[in-house]
Amino acid sequence: MSTLEELSTFLQQGRVPKVKELTLKALEEGIDPKTVLEEGLLSGMSVIGEKFKNNEVFVPEVLIAARAMNAGAQILKPYLTEAGVTEIGTVVLGTVKGDLHDIGKNLVKMMMEGKGLKVIDLGVDVPGEKFIEAAKENDAKIIACSTLLTTTMHEMKNVVDLAKNSGMDVKVMIGGAPVTQSFCDSIGADCYTPDAASAADVAADFCR
Amino acid sequence: MTERQNLISLLRREGYDHVPVEFNLCPHLEKVYKEETHSLRSYRSYFKMPWESVGGLIYLPADKKRFDKYHTAENLANRDFSIDDDGVGHKKTSTSMHMTQMFCPLANADSLEQIDEYPLSELDELKSFKALKAAVKLTHLKGLAAVGNMQCTVWENAWYIRGMENLMMDMMCEDPMAEHLLDKVTDRSLKRAVAYAKAGVDILFLGDDIGMQNSIMMSKELYCTWLKPRLKKIISAAKAVNPNLIVFYHSCGFVTPFIPHLIEAGVDVLNPVQPECMNFEEIHEAYGDKISFNGTIGTQSTMPFGTPADVRKEVEKNLKIAGDKGGLFVSPTHLLEPEVPWENILAYVDACRHFCG
Repeated sequence: MSTLEELSTFLQQGRVPKVKELTLKALEEGIDPKTVLEEGLLSGMSVIGEKFKNNEVFVPEVLIAARAMNAGAQILKPYLTEAGVTEIGTVVLGTVKGDLHDIGKNLVKMMMEGKGLKVIDLGVDVPGEKFIEAAKENDAKIIACSTLLTTTMHEMKNVVDLAKNSGMDVKVMIGGAPVTQSFCDSIGADCYTPDAASAADVAADFCR
Repeated sequence: MTERQNLISLLRREGYDHVPVEFNLCPHLEKVYKEETHSLRSYRSYFKMPWESVGGLIYLPADKKRFDKYHTAENLANRDFSIDDDGVGHKKTSTSMHMTQMFCPLANADSLEQIDEYPLSELDELKSFKALKAAVKLTHLKGLAAVGNMQCTVWENAWYIRGMENLMMDMMCEDPMAEHLLDKVTDRSLKRAVAYAKAGVDILFLGDDIGMQNSIMMSKELYCTWLKPRLKKIISAAKAVNPNLIVFYHSCGFVTPFIPHLIEAGVDVLNPVQPECMNFEEIHEAYGDKISFNGTIGTQSTMPFGTPADVRKEVEKNLKIAGDKGGLFVSPTHLLEPEVPWENILAYVDACRHFCG
């Protein structure tokens, strides 16, 4: 098994010390940092994302894999900066105004970072205007909104309208327990996804 | 039959005289109830709900100052911040209605000592027993079933203290911090359950969320290693006091793969069986002879967005699936939020009242 394959496998198992060790080993072997990122770390998260979509692994497995990925990414960061490697795009993410739930949102963040996206996490109870401001400031390609409550679903329409009126070239993605494709169509959002891994896939496609 | 007798018979799948009703209103809908009915009675009494929660337990020490060191100075200075009996912080925001943002006191813990030293409240068993016994007696005098409500039992108590993500990772890495914290809350929940059983409640309402919208929250292996044995220990202790105790278990979301494990742990009634996440007909077919159900009317779908006719149809359909022996205490799955039309609530009550099999 090559160093990168081994790195990907240990990442999937959430083995932080091994991931750190193998990230350093790959760099010592002279492997390009971008290749280490894509074929070692992100490939491992991609496998976890697919398994999550297929209900083969669950939230705890995703959490430890994401933690391992972050440990490897920390080591790689200076090398990637030096090589001028940047994220494939920026996503502004948050739970909409009136809603304090964040478990789903946090999973989306992990999965998106696992696709090589930069995620600006605005937290919970985020007013529509704040999504737009953050998207402008960070030149984001995507605004991703989460909600768990039927009461706060209508806030997503507010974000969609504000984004349209802002004149920015930004896609609005929505998700959360009560959200459906027909709701997405009714408010004119660009995309609904039923789970965190699918959200990350679509966001990566939008940015490519 | 009193409401109590009717409910217990229905839950035991021994037939029922009439279909009982049950729902919880958010503060906004409580106002609507008062405007619509002009009644001075509580809505639970007005709609003749068959059960009553017998109130809280008494914890020691009452002083919550000991939890201050687990929270930031900024939060402690905030008028909208409060600390609950378990030391978990809650902050209201201007837009969050009746919900609060939670702050987990052991989120940054990194040693077993910090877990072991955590000053979790203890149950004042003597005072609790006296208060509970009197409350149970009063509830029974009203002809209602008495409920001991401890819906956060093991997993959620521990996750609120440690943080869900941290606790899941502790469990995955078999960190002793997870074992010690889960044991700590299990020991106290066992005492809570036994106190309710000794006081003579008819129903013990347990619960920990273990489902997501479309999948289980954790693998069956992780659940069976860490949580099932602890739940079983609590239920066994309570049923040792009163073998006739009816144990409800609540989990939001999709929990179908866990149902056989919940049955093995001693659960008698599953709540809330969200129709957006689980297929009641299939579950009833597979497990309806071993477990009863409570809920099944969607608060993410039919209650807020359906018509009164849709509500009636769903109530009647599910009661027919359950059959004439009962086994379904049909109700909205969750608290009814402001967007639920009053007409839909009346339609639910009407469908229950006029159901004739």
